[in-house]
Amino acid sequence: MSDTTLSRIRFRSATDERLWVKVVLIAIAVFGIVILVFAPLIVVFAEALARGWQAALNALGTRDAQSAIRLTLLIAAISVPLTAVFGIAAAWFITKFDFRGKAFLITLIDLPFSISPVVAGLCFVLAFGANTAVGGWLVAHGFPIVFALPGIVMATMFVTFPFVARELIPVMVEQGRAEEEAALTLGASGWRVFFTVTLPNIRWALLYGVLLCNARAMGEFGAVAVVSGKIRGQTATMPITIEMMYNEYLSVAAFSLAAVLTALALLTLLLKTLLELRFADQLAATRRH
Amino acid sequence: MASTPRKPLIQRSPMPGLGLSMGITIAMLSIVVLIPIGALLTRGALFGPENMWGVINRDRVWAALYLSFRLSFLAAVFNLVFGVLLAWVLARYRFPGRRLLDAAVDLPFALPTAVAGIALTALYAPNGLFGQYARDIGLALTGTGWKIAYTQWGIFIALVFVGLPFVTRTVQPVIEEVEREVEEASATLGASRLYTLRRVIWPTLAPAALTGFALALARAVGEYGSVIFIAGNIPMRTEIAPLLIVIQLEEFNYDGAAAIGIAMLVISFVALLAINLIHIWSRRRIGNV
Repeated sequence: MSDTTLSRIRFRSATDERLWVKVVLIAIAVFGIVILVFAPLIVVFAEALARGWQAALNALGTRDAQSAIRLTLLIAAISVPLTAVFGIAAAWFITKFDFRGKAFLITLIDLPFSISPVVAGLCFVLAFGANTAVGGWLVAHGFPIVFALPGIVMATMFVTFPFVARELIPVMVEQGRAEEEAALTLGASGWRVFFTVTLPNIRWALLYGVLLCNARAMGEFGAVAVVSGKIRGQTATMPITIEMMYNEYLSVAAFSLAAVLTALALLTLLLKTLLELRFADQLAATRRH
Repeated sequence: MASTPRKPLIQRSPMPGLGLSMGITIAMLSIVVLIPIGALLTRGALFGPENMWGVINRDRVWAALYLSFRLSFLAAVFNLVFGVLLAWVLARYRFPGRRLLDAAVDLPFALPTAVAGIALTALYAPNGLFGQYARDIGLALTGTGWKIAYTQWGIFIALVFVGLPFVTRTVQPVIEEVEREVEEASATLGASRLYTLRRVIWPTLAPAALTGFALALARAVGEYGSVIFIAGNIPMRTEIAPLLIVIQLEEFNYDGAAAIGIAMLVISFVALLAINLIHIWSRRRIGNV
């Protein structure tokens, strides 16, 4: 071994790459993210503002855009709390009790992640469509599910179903049952134990799960495209309206609505990052274990 | 959770809320997930295996299924390589802008797929920013302009986008936990850095990388919103399997839609099963790490 290589070895930590290797790897990573993530992000805003602020704002003020925004907010307002209630109940049931078939139950809860949103929408059409027994009866009694609000809410819940439960289960497993048991011994009622002992322990994880659930609920496209019937002004959510406008060559209008959803996505990421920085220890073990 | 040989279905526990949490969990799981999926399977069973085969065994359906699974596999392979690189860079190196890069990786989770779809199309269309470059480079090199959007390349890029976070997010925490001492030991024993990476670090990352790969693959196969805008949707060439379901539904051919939906489910589950088997096999070979 010559002297020059010896000196180089001496100054480089054994668990480090050479500087040029690092620089190349970082450059590839940055280049990839710029091309794949930042470029589409910038394009959304650039296309929305292609004819200036006024054109973008006018596009957001049209009747179609307004009803789409209202519908999307309404769907999130119904589906996200329901999914959160399910997540809390499922996490409580799974982590506070021992029963056979627990792994199977968790698999069933995770099932929606491995099913195409389009297939999910198809399932609802086949289960509750007007030509099925259940669906026909419901339509006859003035409560249609498919091509109406309830179907969109249910399809949205399907695709977001595991989010909250998945976030809560690892946190509650890690925290165990000792604190709840102590509170029970001291005579607290079930609800009191939940609100004063469990909830404070899981609140940030719950918020984290709700945040991700909400982002997906407001942006869901495939499942909603199938169950909504895309009725303008009635069942067209924001993503569906974006598609309609885009297909009608209303580029500024489509990208203006898209920019609103993108801003929401960025806000979600910001809050998510803040939660991870501030409360990493109280979030699901998934991220750090 | 002590597992005794014959434990009862539900073990007795002092914890409150068994009935309520179990009731909510099972009721919501049934209404939102199990009944709709059951409806799909029932429809398929009533339609009959031979009729289903008649729907699936057509050139156009085979072409779509082959396209969906082939491009999803290729996109997941790309994400496997790029995702591990990204995870390594984010976990090991300190450089300005690292946090921004880290947060940007999650954007595909938060951005609605329809928004991603129109943004990517705007970028890669022949008159778009990147599409123009592709056309000019193609003209200069081969005499014909290269197209990205409205070809299989466009679909590939959309699938890479939606699958981007999975591998990085599963591998990154594992890299953060690799003990430097192990790498130092390897270096002291005379291993080169590359040898250490290949024989010491990669085996600990491989299971997580494979999990991320499976998640990215599952997501890509079912993806609809970000693909249909950029795909061009030409039968036999750029038509993905979920789109075929939507087309069948628009023609009110519910049996046909159910047949293709079930075919997608079966192929996905076989693929995931195969990945799980590789998982078990690699764990046995490398040891449980």
